[in-house]
Amino acid sequence: MFTNEALVRLCRARDVLCEVHDRTLTIDEVAREAAMSPFHFIRRFSAVFGDTPHQVRIKARLDRARHLLVDGERSVTEICMEVGFSSHGSFSTLFARRMGVSPSEYRRRARSMIAVPGTASTHLFPACLSLMGPAFAILEKQHISRSGRVGACE
Amino acid sequence: MRIKLTSIMVDDQDKALRFYTQVFGFVKKHDIPVGEYRWITVVSADGHADVELSLEPNANPVGRTFQEGLLKQGIPATAFEVDDVEREYQRLKALGVVFTQEPARQGPITLAVCADTCGNLIQLYQPPSP
Repeated sequence: MFTNEALVRLCRARDVLCEVHDRTLTIDEVAREAAMSPFHFIRRFSAVFGDTPHQVRIKARLDRARHLLVDGERSVTEICMEVGFSSHGSFSTLFARRMGVSPSEYRRRARSMIAVPGTASTHLFPACLSLMGPAFAILEKQHISRSGRVGACE
Repeated sequence: MRIKLTSIMVDDQDKALRFYTQVFGFVKKHDIPVGEYRWITVVSADGHADVELSLEPNANPVGRTFQEGLLKQGIPATAFEVDDVEREYQRLKALGVVFTQEPARQGPITLAVCADTCGNLIQLYQPPSP
């Protein structure tokens, strides 16, 4: 069983991993801060958070990049450096693999969804049931469109 | 007014859907894409199929801060009822689920607490026998 202290140490380790500015962080350093051997740290971390420390770090970097692309004015290259990537190519590849579009295309699409500049759309950063209404509106639209097509054939 | 829907924030909806169906054993009810995210709900396999749990992305920093704060304090985000908490504990443990509290009696109920791998602790409780 996990003690609460072990859980808190793992949560702190996750916080450290999510601080995207520090490029030089190693697993050994984070494990040491969590007072575990690297082997136990990776095993326990993955059991609690469902991802390896490396996956959590990459996700945090890409997530921070998303926010900066939507809200800030910095260039893609500046954002790439800001979130701890040293190569524009690896940043763009990872970003596109996760989001399905390049960082600049993501910025363009995201901004077209924001009605008031400086306010992030709830579609982009949803919480607290904000997806429910749009989801059922989409479902109804699909239903109507399917029924319409059937009607047209009859 | 009826209580038919509740929600839990998750740090990754794909991972959450896998865990909540394959490990907890719930059944997917809705999975509707909405932009980058999905409206996903699950229902219990052996309970009321019309009482849904939404697996919501914790993409909003406000929600994420709340979720992380609960976890750091060891506070469960929600609770699910089970028939036999000891049996569930053994089953989930065998699947690699981490428990922060083994089954323990608290008054007439028995409780255990585990991690859902999506940023939450979940309390499992066995109600008193009728």
